Amino acid sequence: MRLKPAAVALIFAALPAAAAEDFVLENELALCMGCHGENGVPSEPDYPIIWGQEYFYVYTQLRDYAAQRRDNEIMSPIAAEYDRDQAKLLAEHFAAQVWPDIQADLQEGDQQIAERGITGGQCSACHGKWQGDSRIPRLAGQQVGYLLKTMLDFKNEVRMNAPDKISTMKQLDDDTIAALSRYLATVDVQ
Amino acid sequence: MIRWLTAAIFFAATFISGATNAQEETSSSTLYGDLQSVTQSMLARAAGDGNNFLHTNGNYEQTRFYPASQINTSNVKNLRPAWIFQTEVVDSMETSPIVVNGIMYVTTAFNHAYALDARTGKQIWHYKHAMGPVTTYCCGPNNRGVAVSGDKVFMGTLDAKLVALDAKTGKQLWETQIAEPELGYSETMAPSVVEDMVLIGTNGGEYGIRGFVKAFDTETGEEKWTFQTIPENSVGVWATEDATGRNMHRDIEAEKAALAEMGDPYETLGGGVWQNPAVDLETRRVYFVVGNPSPDLDGSLRPGDNLYTDSLVAVDLDTGEYVCHLQYIAHDVWDLDAVSPPIITTVKNEAGEDVKGILHAGKTGHVYVHNADDCSLIRFSEAMVPQEDMWTLPTAEGARMLPGANGGVEWSPMAIDPNHRLTYAINLHQPMTYTVRSTPYPEGKLWLGGSFDVIPDEEQWGNVTAVDYDTGDIAWQVRTEQPMIGGILATAGGLVFTGEGNGLFKAYDSSNGAELWRFQAGAGANAPPSSYTVEGQQYVVVAAGGNAQLNFKRGNNIIAFTLAD
Ligand code: HEC
Repeated sequence: MRLKPAAVALIFAALPAAAAEDFVLENELALCMGCHGENGVPSEPDYPIIWGQEYFYVYTQLRDYAAQRRDNEIMSPIAAEYDRDQAKLLAEHFAAQVWPDIQADLQEGDQQIAERGITGGQCSACHGKWQGDSRIPRLAGQQVGYLLKTMLDFKNEVRMNAPDKISTMKQLDDDTIAALSRYLATVDVQ
Repeated sequence: MIRWLTAAIFFAATFISGATNAQEETSSSTLYGDLQSVTQSMLARAAGDGNNFLHTNGNYEQTRFYPASQINTSNVKNLRPAWIFQTEVVDSMETSPIVVNGIMYVTTAFNHAYALDARTGKQIWHYKHAMGPVTTYCCGPNNRGVAVSGDKVFMGTLDAKLVALDAKTGKQLWETQIAEPELGYSETMAPSVVEDMVLIGTNGGEYGIRGFVKAFDTETGEEKWTFQTIPENSVGVWATEDATGRNMHRDIEAEKAALAEMGDPYETLGGGVWQNPAVDLETRRVYFVVGNPSPDLDGSLRPGDNLYTDSLVAVDLDTGEYVCHLQYIAHDVWDLDAVSPPIITTVKNEAGEDVKGILHAGKTGHVYVHNADDCSLIRFSEAMVPQEDMWTLPTAEGARMLPGANGGVEWSPMAIDPNHRLTYAINLHQPMTYTVRSTPYPEGKLWLGGSFDVIPDEEQWGNVTAVDYDTGDIAWQVRTEQPMIGGILATAGGLVFTGEGNGLFKAYDSSNGAELWRFQAGAGANAPPSSYTVEGQQYVVVAAGGNAQLNFKRGNNIIAFTLAD
């Protein structure tokens, strides 16, 4: 859903000062950490880990949020505050952090269901062993709740900034997507 | 539309930097051979060179026909591994080993390069490219190998650079930024070298690039010429039929209306070239095939024939100027593009006379036979894989059509045997649905305009097919358990060698397809094999690293075989 300009302006007004002129990296990081964690573990199960995420991926996501190609009530107004260079500084910072360890468990049958989905969707063509590389995000060890949400967001045409994922996810039933989320969350980060 | 793009490309214009010490390399060991420099005359005579393997596809004509016959139909059963080299990178391998005077050069995913003693597999040096932060690959972090010339080794990189290394030490001599990686440009192909030029194309047909082939100076890395695969007028002739005469169901009126409204879509039309050109030194032309238009499945944003996507193109070797082309599929919306490298050889024309011809194997499953003079089509072969409901347009729900988007023949190079007048192709059968979903240009991110999805319940398989290029008839065909990707080698020993995703590397009798030998490589043998002779002993070598796109088991082995005593 597209926020009306007026609504966007309201959110802007409510945000901590982050205008391009008085950008201080530490202050902005404090804002991010409120949700993405002090030590890399996010505050909510369906918030993504961004510590140790790929630099170029983080950067493009911030740009996409800002341009509302990836439209999200929380992140779009935050990202809209940064210009390209500031987004790059934020991305550099998070890419240089260590990916945190989180707890996730497989259910019986997950492995087989997930692998079938992966072959059908030709996922490994881009995602390889799920460790991420440049424009491809790391998914190994990501939060189950976020993986599930973002894959369903693709499927239900909520997340629009990687439109090719939409038809890929539409091929998968919700049980497969749930199994995939648990599977990816348990893949070791190398 | 998208005016900033021109500017961005302008600013990204090639820059050259001197030798940096950012890369890692290790040198060690006593060298076999003298790492003698590779002369132009050696490169030009490679087709008859029974010692070396100097080009990705064997020789400038790209025949992949190796002229030695020590390993042949009668003794191939005694072929055994001579050595196995394990690289540092366990991932998809598509490298064609290059062998110069007993020294072998191979590459891996993520742009590592190695020099090895070709008799023993002992490492001589290891170069690891210092990768920039922005890389692009649709289909695995692949690299298909190096080109050699003089005392240099050349490699293209995933961050869209061309690097030159010292053949003796692996030290980087220079690097050139070929194009802007943020916009989706990257390199997986092995370069080709002719005289003082390194020729290389670009990947990025899935990212809305504007494709090209460029020539760089071997000594300095400076650009000498560029051929844009997408001309500013990309509209063409509004072809309604493909090269084989089948109706493609284009809505020409709607396209004309779209053209009037949005203008020529050339700036983001794709048209990558990511396999080596065939080089004709006699006429000083290069022949290459151009890949799919962007976005792959959505034709609504790119009215017209989308020249020169999905085409065979010839340009002048010295200037890069256009000579001729033939488009296989105008306004492709299936990603059934032209990828497998073209071959120059003598073929029979319609009148039964011998003429210089060009062969190309399409994802469509046909081998196309062209007249080299004007690129025109002489004939096309019987379909090597099932074709069903061609051409069904992609729909919002997904429409089934065969072949699937990987082919037919994918990037896998063919080999020919000029004595049998056969060309050998490896094929995939992978039923898919084609789905269209229109989205605007996403500024250098993946842009398929929909998706091609494997139909999970349908059987997949592959085959090795020999086609008589003088008639277009299939001479023999052998079915394989899995879809085939990687490449094939033919030898004067009456053999063809090719590997499978399940790890089996096999030798067949090139006259009839009888399987004569097999070896389990432990990971997908999905790379083009090479052959060479050192100290009187012939070897066959293949990389077994699996394949990212088809999810075949990954590994990191280079395996060289020779006859048991
Ligand atoms: C109020 C909570 C909150 C704050 C503050 C916040 N984020 Fe987020 N962030 C989220 C949520 C929730 C998502 C997932 C949104 C979605 O589904 O698209 C997200 C997503 C992201 C993503 C995409 C991750 C991925 O894997 O695709 C990036 C990058 C990101 N945030 C960076 C930042 C940065 C940098 C900051 C600080 C400048 C920040 N966030 C501040 C909640 C927050």
